[in-house]
Amino acid sequence: MSAIMNQFRPQTGAAAAASGAGAWQALPDPVRSVVLRLLALALLCLVLSVASDAFLTSANILNVLRQAALLFLLASGLTLVILTAGLDLSVGANVAMSACLAATVMKATGSITLAVFVGLACGLAIGVANGILITLIRIPPFIATYGMLWILHGITYWFMRGETIHGFPAAFRALGSGHWLGVPIPVYLMVVFLVVGAVFAQRTRWGQEIYAVGANPEAARLSGVPVKSRLVLVYAVSGAMAGLASLIFLARLNSAEGDIGEAMTLPAIAAVLIGGTSLFGVVGSVFGTLVGALILTLVLNGMNLLAINANWQPVVTGVIVVMAVYLDNLTRKGDGR
Amino acid sequence: MRDLTLDTPSGDGMRDLMHRLRRSGSASGALVMLAGLCVLFGLLAPNFLATSNLVNVALQSTILLLIALPMTLIIMTEGLDLSVGAVLTLANVVLATIAVKTGGVGLSLLSALAIGAVFGLLNGTLVARLGIPPFVATLGTLGVAQGMALVVTDGQSVVGIPESVQMLYSGALLGVPLPICIAVIAYLAFHVVLYHTRFGACVFALGGNREALSLAGVRMRWYLVAVYLISGLMAGLAALLLTARISAGHPTAALGIEFDAIAAVAVGGTSFERGKGWLLGTLIGVLAVGVLRNGLNLMGVSSAVQVAAIGFLVILALTIDALRERNV
Amino acid sequence: MKMKTMARVALAAAATCAALPCFANGERIAVFTKNQTNPFFQAVRLGAESAAKQMNARVTHYVPTKPDSIPEQMSQVEDVIIKKPDAIVFTPVDYKAMVPAVAKINGAKIPVVNVTDRSESGNFVAFVGASDYRLGLETARHLIKSLGGQGNLVAIEGVKGSLTSIDRMRGFNDAVKEAPGVKVLASQPGNYQRLQALQVMENLMQSHPKIDGVFAANDAMAGGVVEALDAANRKANVVGINGTKEAIDAIKAGKMLATGDYNGFMQGCLSTMSAVRSLRKQPVQKDIVFPATVIDKSNYQRWETPVESRTCPTWEEAVK
Repeated sequence: MSAIMNQFRPQTGAAAAASGAGAWQALPDPVRSVVLRLLALALLCLVLSVASDAFLTSANILNVLRQAALLFLLASGLTLVILTAGLDLSVGANVAMSACLAATVMKATGSITLAVFVGLACGLAIGVANGILITLIRIPPFIATYGMLWILHGITYWFMRGETIHGFPAAFRALGSGHWLGVPIPVYLMVVFLVVGAVFAQRTRWGQEIYAVGANPEAARLSGVPVKSRLVLVYAVSGAMAGLASLIFLARLNSAEGDIGEAMTLPAIAAVLIGGTSLFGVVGSVFGTLVGALILTLVLNGMNLLAINANWQPVVTGVIVVMAVYLDNLTRKGDGR
Repeated sequence: MRDLTLDTPSGDGMRDLMHRLRRSGSASGALVMLAGLCVLFGLLAPNFLATSNLVNVALQSTILLLIALPMTLIIMTEGLDLSVGAVLTLANVVLATIAVKTGGVGLSLLSALAIGAVFGLLNGTLVARLGIPPFVATLGTLGVAQGMALVVTDGQSVVGIPESVQMLYSGALLGVPLPICIAVIAYLAFHVVLYHTRFGACVFALGGNREALSLAGVRMRWYLVAVYLISGLMAGLAALLLTARISAGHPTAALGIEFDAIAAVAVGGTSFERGKGWLLGTLIGVLAVGVLRNGLNLMGVSSAVQVAAIGFLVILALTIDALRERNV
Repeated sequence: MKMKTMARVALAAAATCAALPCFANGERIAVFTKNQTNPFFQAVRLGAESAAKQMNARVTHYVPTKPDSIPEQMSQVEDVIIKKPDAIVFTPVDYKAMVPAVAKINGAKIPVVNVTDRSESGNFVAFVGASDYRLGLETARHLIKSLGGQGNLVAIEGVKGSLTSIDRMRGFNDAVKEAPGVKVLASQPGNYQRLQALQVMENLMQSHPKIDGVFAANDAMAGGVVEALDAANRKANVVGINGTKEAIDAIKAGKMLATGDYNGFMQGCLSTMSAVRSLRKQPVQKDIVFPATVIDKSNYQRWETPVESRTCPTWEEAVK
């Protein structure tokens, strides 16, 4: 089984090494992709620290990390979905609904644990619903999650009735705005899920199967991979991560409104793409998404610090996404893949 | 799963292909939905079936149709154009600015078409020549166009649109409102191009087989660029109608319309994965969305329920299609 | 014969109805607001419903499914004109771009009351709203006074291009001109969004180590600013505008200094009342502009009732 699985794992570039190319060429594709991105990240940090005095202060770095953590938590689940050549457009609406539901529960019962549970469960349920639409009813992921997005918004607006829920207990708020040993708590969560996600994707059998499904679902099915349940799994994970992100959002903003998190969907997708995960699946990693999230957050932070008109932000984001993918194409083509 | 045979239709083969596509019933889901909605609203919503209201719905659907027609072609080539809304918006503000300054329709239209063409070419080049996935390429151009619209206007509306432009929305030709005339002409043009020209045949061929592009000759690549170019030009044309409709240019006027167009195309039966396309289906899909919104407004249904209903419509239409696919 | 008597009775009834307010029940009012997510508009809607209940009229709400969407509000206006309600209460999503929509309503001869955002032109029965300029001015003055006329200020604006934001910022800038000891370090848009204001504030705190006061153009953004300050353990005097429950709570807890009273509930009440009264041929005031009151620790008690449990005052009380 694992021999077949290995066929679908990203290529190790053994062939290139054999042909006598340099050490750089001998590196496997995914490693090269990540190294390039880390270099870009480092370059970005260098430029920003020269351009603005405020950049390298500990307060600013921690801020950036906190903002990137939120983006990463959302984008990590999305990475798995995109690895199967799928898409989840409903994550933003998922965050909104889970947050509002959790907030309602917290206000009604005063129990933090119950609210956390509800938030996560809601996110998970939405993810599973997406998975079922896509696998059982066979609606293309783009449309299925897009329809789901509208339904979720409708439900959220309906029970929120245009009001905000605010004022949560301090213990809960610490989740989003608190620190431990000087580092914001969301950053710890980011690290935890980075490790969990990376290990899951690269080292477990389920992770390998997910890569296989992205490469060629038919072949994977023939090799005995339960394609449908793996697909439901990735959407469920994406949903659950959205649920988690919604709780952090809630804690940070200390209030819930119907459109919370709505603007996060495209940036999350952008982070995954900048991180090197291909929309066609197979290629990509959770660590790459982390780097992508950091790059995106740093760029926006830099623009703010340099007081560049906010109107330019979408332009810069768009250009970076295209460049990241283009550069990937260039470096990959050279391998004769 | 993925169909690996190349469809290279010749004269008769094309007709054959058309027959197969139409009979596959993939667009029937949309027709069922549209008919069902009309019956439902005819019964429940006061004034729904009044001529003035039906004309109203048709008018409201014209801009979306102009965007959805080229989107059909793009989706048939297994692509997407996410930038349409932002390009439409940018064209809208530029057109409005020029219209206010010069007062002429011709120059304004030219500027809008130029913007559409530039972005269309950009998209096409990124996708066809540089091999960047359409989602990514058009996501990038979306950002650029959106930002530029904000920069040009600094968030403010542009008003003072001259009568000559406004007439384009409120005027009529032989009693038929101008926008509807334009939409009908556009639809016919697309029909002819898609089903009766070589270019259209290539669009069919480009879909259902991603590998075809890398094997395809130079001409095929240029056709792919052309598909995105057309999408940009139609966005420019739609911008003219939009400016006339709202008598203003606004940097957020049409953001997000691309998703509506994609949903309408999908509801209409054009498949994402197999490159099958049904232009009439797109028209039905656009009308279905318009009818739904109009009917719910007439019924005074709350906005939250409307939002959910739109999602349900999309999923229901596709479920019907998927179930039919299984039975075929 | 029976037809003749019926016709005569009908004529008599019509004649009497022309003289008296016979259709004093069940008027259908269509209320347009900008979006479903801003609690301010929810307050307007609740005010409208409360007023309608008091006066025995019926209200239907129209809110775009895409927040603040110009084409969508346009479509909704067109659809509603076909329904022909008795009157319309209208908040334009953009005060300039919705002028043609108002023209259509005027063309259909449906009486319309303008609420909240003053439309650039159009034929209205009345305008009900606040002076955003005075609100910005008074609230900023309050802030400056609390700092003793000296200090560093930061302003978080609303949605660029929206009338409320433009006017409030004008008020803020005029207040600043009055106080030479005060310096404005930065003025950035927060789009009336809490998260955006929070992030903008976080970034501003990096570039400016000493911020004494923050003027946020609405309470949601003020909430974001407060959270940012809390998380960074910094203190500043924060003012907002809206008078939401959240702001009142923050004032009570000492987290916010003050908020400008922008009473959505009352705006909803009075605009709907004006609409109904004009249908019943009762006198209506053409321009109702609420005075600019600043709510702070000394007077917040009046605003403490949650919006859901409020009821509209009678016309006579309100117009005073």
